[in-house]
Amino acid sequence: MLREHHLGSGRDSARSGKTIQVWDPLVRLIHWGVVLMVVINAAIVAKDSPLHLWAGYTMLVLVGVRLLWGVIGTRPARFAAFPPNPFRALDYVKKMRRSDKTVHLSHNPLGALMVYNIWTTLLVIATTGYMMGTIRFFGVVWVERAHELAYDWLLVSIAAHILGVAFDIWRSGVPLVQAMIHGGKRIPNDTPVE
Amino acid sequence: MKNGLQLSRNDRRRAATLAVIILVQALCAAFFFSDVVSDFKSDKYLSEVHFYMEAIATLVLIAGVVFLMIELRKIMARVEQLDRGLRGARGEMAEIIDAFFEEWDLTPSEKDVGLLILKGFDNEAISQLRGTAAGTVRAQSTRIYSKAGVESRAQLFSVFLDELLAGEGRQDGADLKA
Repeated sequence: MLREHHLGSGRDSARSGKTIQVWDPLVRLIHWGVVLMVVINAAIVAKDSPLHLWAGYTMLVLVGVRLLWGVIGTRPARFAAFPPNPFRALDYVKKMRRSDKTVHLSHNPLGALMVYNIWTTLLVIATTGYMMGTIRFFGVVWVERAHELAYDWLLVSIAAHILGVAFDIWRSGVPLVQAMIHGGKRIPNDTPVE
Repeated sequence: MKNGLQLSRNDRRRAATLAVIILVQALCAAFFFSDVVSDFKSDKYLSEVHFYMEAIATLVLIAGVVFLMIELRKIMARVEQLDRGLRGARGEMAEIIDAFFEEWDLTPSEKDVGLLILKGFDNEAISQLRGTAAGTVRAQSTRIYSKAGVESRAQLFSVFLDELLAGEGRQDGADLKA
């Protein structure tokens, strides 16, 4: 029992894993804000209600702030921490198959692709949604089709995102959902960090 | 260390507040921005002071958002630094203790007792924790003091504090032996 005590709190906490501050409150608020807006527009309000437009605009502003934060924000939030690079993602998959358990403090290279995919999809949805309300594009078929297609793609992406997060939690043992709630990633011991 | 944690907690609260204000202000800025743009397009309001006031207010709102974002980044950098500093100090202290214990050739049970002494337990508590007689602990601590070349608990503490406060960066076992 005393062995466990060895060298005190520093070592003890190192033994059970250390928590590293990753997601700042702005990233977290925007993440859950976007979730809320998507849920409101997908499941709660009618398509032609003014609330649908307001939720859409709110979502657009949230994504806009996030994109600006990707340039001037905290380190893990910056684009530089998770560049959209398919080769890095491929490399990451290869390493994963060799059961390399390196934990990425920001998004992992595969997750990064999903992040950019979801942002793009949200922007397409918001833009086409806005266009549908303008005189010039009102009732134009391809705009409506694009809005619906992008929405379908968003649903697929969200499903993939949730599966990906679940898979990564199972594989790495880092509680990612909690990380998006209170901001700290708890890294298990003996896990290399990048 | 409590102080450090307290500081970081205050910063965290400030950061959360800032994040909320940033988002609300960004939403307002977007609203006024679209209003100004549509006023501008409609051409009717260009001669009114109202329009220019609104345009300036919008610009200030946007500038405010950017300014608050930079503030938030600073706060988060401080939180991160504080967290890392605390972790570092803990790790460094453990390394120093390890190095000295090795240097003094303490037996494993003496190391345990030494650690408990440093953690502030008295002999009675240590004997209870280790399930040994109080006499044994007293004998062990005497041996630790003599191996360390100190005469009391207080002097034992000061050995480690001196090392930390010496501040010549990190010292490892090699340096200590030299």
